Amino acid sequence: MSMKKDDEAEHSLYAGLDRSTALQEARVFNETPISPRKCRATITKILYLIYQSEVLQTKEATETFFSLTKLFQNQDTSLRQAVYLLIKELSTVAEDVIMVTASLSKDLTSKSEISKANAIRALCKITDASMIQGIERFLKQAIVDKNHAISSAALVSSLHLFNNSKDVVRRWANEVQESVNSKTGITQYHALGLLYQIRQHDRMAVIKLVQTLSRGTLRSPFAYCMLVRYSAKIMDEEEGARSMYESLEGWLRHRNEMVVYEAARAICNIRDVTAKEIFPAVSALQLMLVSHKPSLRFAAIRTLNKLALTLPAAVAQCNLDMENLITDPNRSIATYAITTLLKTGNEASVDRLMKQITGFMSEISDDFKIIVVDAIRSLCLKFPAKQSVMINFLSNILRDEGGYEFKRSIVEAIFDITYHIPDSKEYALSHLCEFIEDCEFTKLAVRILHLLGVEGPKSATPSKFIRYIYNRIILENATVKAAAVSAMGHFAVECPELRPRIRVLLTRALDDNDDEVRDRAALFLRVTSSDELASKFFGLADTYSWPTLESGLVNYLAHPELQRAPFDIASIPTISRDQEEAEKQRQKTAKQENIAALPKSAAAASAAPSSNKFASAAGSGGGGVSAAVDAIKGYAAAMEKIPQLVMLGPIFKSSTKPVELTESETEYVVSCVKHVFAGHLVLQFNCRNTINDVLLENVTVAMTVESNDDGLAGGLQLEGTIAAPKLAYDVPGAIYVVYKRLGGVSPVVTFGNTLKFVVKDCDPATGEADDEGYEDEYLIEDLELTTADYMQPTMTLDFKSKWEQVGQEHEQVETFELSAVPSVKVAVTQIIDVLGMEACDGTGNVQEKATTHQLLLSGMFVGGVNVLVRCRMAFDASSGVTLEIAARCTDAELCERIVNSIV
Amino acid sequence: MELTLVGLQNSGKTTLVNVIANGEFTEDMIPTVGFNMRKVTKGAVVMKLWDLGGQARFRAMWERYCRGVNAIVFVLDSADHAKIPAARTELHTLLDKPQLVNIPILVLGNKNDLPGALTVEAVIEQMGLKSITNREVSCYSISAKNSVNIDLTLQWLTKHATSK
Repeated sequence: MSMKKDDEAEHSLYAGLDRSTALQEARVFNETPISPRKCRATITKILYLIYQSEVLQTKEATETFFSLTKLFQNQDTSLRQAVYLLIKELSTVAEDVIMVTASLSKDLTSKSEISKANAIRALCKITDASMIQGIERFLKQAIVDKNHAISSAALVSSLHLFNNSKDVVRRWANEVQESVNSKTGITQYHALGLLYQIRQHDRMAVIKLVQTLSRGTLRSPFAYCMLVRYSAKIMDEEEGARSMYESLEGWLRHRNEMVVYEAARAICNIRDVTAKEIFPAVSALQLMLVSHKPSLRFAAIRTLNKLALTLPAAVAQCNLDMENLITDPNRSIATYAITTLLKTGNEASVDRLMKQITGFMSEISDDFKIIVVDAIRSLCLKFPAKQSVMINFLSNILRDEGGYEFKRSIVEAIFDITYHIPDSKEYALSHLCEFIEDCEFTKLAVRILHLLGVEGPKSATPSKFIRYIYNRIILENATVKAAAVSAMGHFAVECPELRPRIRVLLTRALDDNDDEVRDRAALFLRVTSSDELASKFFGLADTYSWPTLESGLVNYLAHPELQRAPFDIASIPTISRDQEEAEKQRQKTAKQENIAALPKSAAAASAAPSSNKFASAAGSGGGGVSAAVDAIKGYAAAMEKIPQLVMLGPIFKSSTKPVELTESETEYVVSCVKHVFAGHLVLQFNCRNTINDVLLENVTVAMTVESNDDGLAGGLQLEGTIAAPKLAYDVPGAIYVVYKRLGGVSPVVTFGNTLKFVVKDCDPATGEADDEGYEDEYLIEDLELTTADYMQPTMTLDFKSKWEQVGQEHEQVETFELSAVPSVKVAVTQIIDVLGMEACDGTGNVQEKATTHQLLLSGMFVGGVNVLVRCRMAFDASSGVTLEIAARCTDAELCERIVNSIV
Repeated sequence: MELTLVGLQNSGKTTLVNVIANGEFTEDMIPTVGFNMRKVTKGAVVMKLWDLGGQARFRAMWERYCRGVNAIVFVLDSADHAKIPAARTELHTLLDKPQLVNIPILVLGNKNDLPGALTVEAVIEQMGLKSITNREVSCYSISAKNSVNIDLTLQWLTKHATSK
């Protein structure tokens, strides 16, 4: 056959090959005498099909497998190699594959070196956990075999077996250790990988391993790369310490550039890395930027790009080299170079860079275009003066061909820019208007129409947008039409001078053939028929907390027993639009940070400087509030998985910050989150076991009432405790203690708490515990339940009128001398803390040195009572802060209680 | 010719193959996991021996290796009385397979050097060989250790080399 010479012939040999014919052909395996050549050709065909993702049925695979075993009677080496390959592929589908164990083991003891390595690989594939002891002897021998192909095969196979049979493989540690010192690089690399797997749960052993090996017995650059990664991981876990930094820095001077890169990257990823620490790494990467190898240039620029997100100043030293890369023949490198420059460059270089980008936008793929757009977005926020250049650029590329993700990123960027740079609004909106004239993506058109509806009426000449919007009603699909009607409705509400004309247009939409469009038109026509209605429904500056509203509705729909009463919208907390906006921005930033940061260091990255920019720009305290919202959502999601807790209905209030009930360095770290439900109280104890050779089982918390000032504690009735079934080392777990609040009591109580559990010793390396354990207790600190725990902070706009509305009937006023409080600012924070209410009308912000201040607070007490509090404060250096606190609500007792909780 | 050796674990199949192939007895074998394939030349006859594992998990696979062979050899430990009923069941289950009809069977009561080993007659009786009518059945009492009746076995086998 002239296969080798003629590529086409080879191609046609496999083209049109189908499974059943190939499997039929497997009958040659049963022929006598065996023809190795024919059999190999058949095996190749079957393998070809499997590699083409053809799926074999178990029965077919088993048949083929057993025919294949007949080929062990032939000693032809190349046939045997092919047999191994097919065994490996069939091992996962066919039944009874252990049938070839003896035959493969025999090959391992044969004199022929050539097939041993492959035999080991096949043998490990067919061996299950129950059979592994049978082949242990062969593998141990093979790991220390002088032939590196054989020892590597054994090491890699062991690595695979490790997942299922940790204990058995762990017994080979001595052999593996020996092969780390082998003379061949690749064996060192594989042995190191396996050794790490074996020891990874024993921190000290890993540190020792890395320290011993970093002294330089290794030859393989791959092994060094692994060492770099292990070192980085050790450092990442020890939080803040830099024990491995010196080794990493040393590897920057390794003779192999792969190791140098790996070390540089590891340094760049160190949490809270300082400019001084990162300098040598950046210098090393800078050298790679001018390397003649594209892969090195790419790796270096990509790492610098990521680094530029957090430490642009550190990367700036490479600016000159990166500018040269803009003309790099490899477009990926050029894209990264230019976007990095956009992050590190100064205002003066922006124009020049923008020109260069325009030059090659058409030459790169959508993925890279998105990277460019993101870079421009952050650049624009950094240099607001350049916004017109940027918006121009963005709107230009918006007209180019491109997929949804690409267009979305542009629109997203323009949205952000208009949000942060008010000057750009008019200009950006007019570009967006033009874009929706010819927009193939419904989702984007809808979002733009919404933005037009929100921002358009506030612009200097709102009328010019109307035509664009009305065109959509005529020309588009139902979804876009509906959005356009809403947008136009907003104009009508907010621009009284345009209202009559817009009402004409809305009236036309009443004849639309889509009912959503008609409904919206009718709604807006009705709303705009009087000023009163318009301001009632659309003048609101606050809105509902969407995540809470959503989970509330989901819960309502999921529980038929709740549906006897109408859904209680009043139980959903309101937030101001500013807060909502801040939350959206925060989520967006968090997402970007997550993309940018390594998964491990994500937590650290969100604290990095770049993310704070948006949070602080978006409004005071927005970040803190929303982080708490996230935490509460997390608790709620965890509790929804526990049937006993789901029955309690929605959470009224969860304490925002967990209360620490132990010191952070004790054996068991416990913190508590208090959840108040409509008729219940749930105390969630988060526990972490910090001892690595102990396993706790059936962990519960015994609670006793220590003190109770208001005498209401009798109304708390213990309903049950949901134990944590087991607490393994460093795996957090939660215990829930559920109290029923009889008659809706809300007592102020101090609980004494004891952790109870069964202790079992366990092997720190495997985490496997002894069978026998003993019961033990652990005293943790007291837990206080305060008035604030029953109070849900709510946003109230126009505090004054509400205050008047509630009236003085049940008002309670009290005056306190807070002599220990050093300033008004401190007093404000403490009062908010103690009452658990929301500061209104911006009264939560106080000047540092203020001597007088009025704090307005609003909240909803459990049971749905709205509470308003006014605090007047005066500060005098001699007497401290004098506080007059007045509380108003519909319940006199509650007012008194609130006032008195300040002591 | 092709032969398949089956039988419960520890009945001496692999040992017997070694004795036939090398002419010498080796003690303390590791249980066969799966199968061993041996080629043995005796005079003008080349014998391919499929020596199968006797553990319970492999018994279902015996049939696959018995299809189309010249003869099936069933080895049993004639000194292990407790296992005879199990061996009998396995033998009859195997021979009931329609694919294997007409293939001659040779039952070997191995380890007749041990005290208390069954005689040929006892083996025939206890294994219920008389009830097998659809093929040629033979039975010998042998000892792989002391090479007792191995020559007889080989004679039987070579005789069946061409009877396919």
